Formats: sequence, C-alpha cells, structure tokens
Amino acid sequence: MPVKVLGISGSPHRHGNTEVLLDAFLAGVTEEGGEADKVILKDIEYSPCRGCNTCHKDGECIVKDQAIPLFDRILMMDCLAAASPIYSMGITAELKGLIDRAQYIWARKFILKTLYFTDDHVRSHKGIFISTAGLSWDNVFDAAFPAITAFFNTIGFEYYDNIIANEMDKYHGIRGHPTALKEAHAKGREVVRVLEALKRDVPDTD
Amino acid sequence: MPIKVLAFAGSPRRGGNSETLLDWVLDVIRKEPEVEIEKIHLDEANVNPCRGCNACEVLNKCVQRDGMDVLHDKIITCHILILAAPIFCMGINAQSKALVDRFQVFRSRKYVLKLPVVSPELKGKRQGIFLSTAGQDWDYVFDGAIPTVKCFFHVVDVRDRDTRYLMVKGVDEKGAILSHPTAQHDAEKLAKDMIMKVRDLLEHEP
Repeated sequence: MPVKVLGISGSPHRHGNTEVLLDAFLAGVTEEGGEADKVILKDIEYSPCRGCNTCHKDGECIVKDQAIPLFDRILMMDCLAAASPIYSMGITAELKGLIDRAQYIWARKFILKTLYFTDDHVRSHKGIFISTAGLSWDNVFDAAFPAITAFFNTIGFEYYDNIIANEMDKYHGIRGHPTALKEAHAKGREVVRVLEALKRDVPDTD
Repeated sequence: MPIKVLAFAGSPRRGGNSETLLDWVLDVIRKEPEVEIEKIHLDEANVNPCRGCNACEVLNKCVQRDGMDVLHDKIITCHILILAAPIFCMGINAQSKALVDRFQVFRSRKYVLKLPVVSPELKGKRQGIFLSTAGQDWDYVFDGAIPTVKCFFHVVDVRDRDTRYLMVKGVDEKGAILSHPTAQHDAEKLAKDMIMKVRDLLEHEP
C-alpha cells in the first residue's frame, strides 16, 4: 500500500503562494512513490461549527454537509498537509471553519471516550502545516500554531513539521523565495520515506 | 453627540457564554445617557470570508457585496468597538475570523493607499473591547486569538493601549459563565471604566 497523503488548501485564492507551496510538497510525495491528493476547501460546501455541543452527547455532528465525508477521508490518510496563508495573524476562515467542525471527533475522544488513538497510530500519521505570509515578522505564524496543534491532536496525527515561508511581499511571491519550494519538495519525499519505514515496523492494524 | 457603540456577537450559539459577557457590558452602557448601541449577531450578518484577491489594495473597497456593505460605515464611525468571540480549537471561531479577515479593506486603505480610515475627530479617541470565553481551563487558551484581535482593532484605528480584554476560561456549556465568580463584575466594571474614558475624551476636545 502506498503512503496516502492528502493536501488541504485553505486559501480562497487558487494557485496562490500557499497552494503552490503545497503543490511542491505533494510533487515530492508523488516522486517518492506516495499517493497524493488535494482538496480545495473553497470549492466544497460546508458551514462553520454551530457551537451547539450536540456532538458532546452522541459524537455526531448535526450539520450534514461535505465536511463529514472530508473528515472520513482525512482519517484514512497516512499524512495530512493542512495549508493556509496567514490572514490577520491566523489561518484563513476557510481552514478555521473546517478545523472547528472537528469538534465531533474531539467529543468522541475526550468526552465520550469512544475514540482512542494508540501511540503507534499517532506516530504513523503525520500532520504537516504549510503556510505563507506577506509580512517579514518572525512571529507571524505563531498564532496559527495552536489551532493546527489542536487539530492534529484531535484527529490522531503527530504534528510532524511546518513548511512555512514569510516575506512573500519582499520576494514577490513564493516563486521568488530562494529555498521554500525546494524544501517543500524535499519534505514531501522525506515524509513518504519516514512513513514507509514506520509501516514496515508497525503493521497497520486499523 | 451620542457615544456610538458597535458590538459584534461572534458566536453561532445564541445567548451563550461570550454573548452573555457582551450583554453584561452593554447593559451597563445602555443605562448611560446619550449612547447609541448597535449589537450585531455575526451569524445573521452575512459576512463572507475574505477572498484574498487584494483588489482592495487598488480599489479601496471590497469586491464582495454582502453584509459588510452595511457594516463598513458603522465600523469606522463608532466610538467603542466590541468583539465578543468564543475560542474554538485554540482560536476565535471561524465566523469571527471571517469578519476580522474582511477588515483587509481597512488595512489596504491605511497601509497601501495611505488614506485615513477614520475621520480626524475620532483619531486617537476610539476604544476597543475584546470579550472571549473558552471551554478549556488552560492559561494559554487565548494566546492564539490575541494577535488576530490586535489586527482587528489596529487597522481601524483603535490603538493597542485603547483596547481592553476580558477573557474568561473554563466555561463551556451554555450558561456556565453565570456561575463564574468574577466575570459579571469584571464585565460591568470594564463597561463603566470605558464609558467614563470616552466621555472624558469627547468632553476635552480642543
């Protein structure tokens, strides 16, 4: 079974800096023999979390839209690359909208305790955050990390690494950045190798 | 001239904890003479996410025609701007994030086009309040939200030092805030302080 990788693009802007960076990562995945796919969040129909907490009782989301099959798909992956540009010091409303909807998985895990991920499971499921920012500030990604950390933790993925590049304004876009695309590509190859090795060591039981 | 207050209730849950916090603040302000309060339920305000097209950097307006058309003038003419937003997944909820991201038009006006955002008589006088609640009891649960909130106020000429924060952690289920030992008192005190400060600023106009 090839390593399955899903890239989720949370940018409202098609083929912008973040999506191009995600594409470089996914190209690395494919080159190493992984199976890469991409979802464009702005093209799928889902609404934000209602905050109704109904899922705290039965572990199901009352909002029946395309977020649910997407989460089903995410949970089948070996690696998830969540990609979003930085807007107002955080991830986009699109990606935040999806992450907030994972509340029903969180409820299964932490309230109802009907869902449990073993350490081996978490180690063999890698989450990667891909992001770009216009500003040069060193801290421009800091406020995005907590939501991403919470998301990967909820869905049983190890937060493996970040592929991030700031100063897009200075470089006139990701293609002008000296190293980011190469690094993303290399990271795609690396994560497939790492996951292949893990699959050999720990046969998939779930 | 009345003191204009614009308050966003950002939670999709009506009458929940963050909205209760907001109502405590607004109830105090409402008892004051000569105030105009407008409370917007973001869930019903038809504010779409930012498309990231950057057209506002040239057009000085947003290309989207939605609820922001109505809110635009209210945002730049109020004396007190309030955002009440719950924490979902370590950040403000997606609906509130969409509003913050739509302030990009003000950011473009201020930093790209270098045009004034508020009228001269309001410059340096506008005050901000961020109210938030979180289910988790962690000390750092608001850390991911604050930089985004700073952007929200900053781009519409509410200075950092003129922004007050009241963030209550450990309240999850609807109504939990009612049994919080200090939240109501803190909200009411904050409202009193704020209204006094604004009166003082407006009375001592040169």
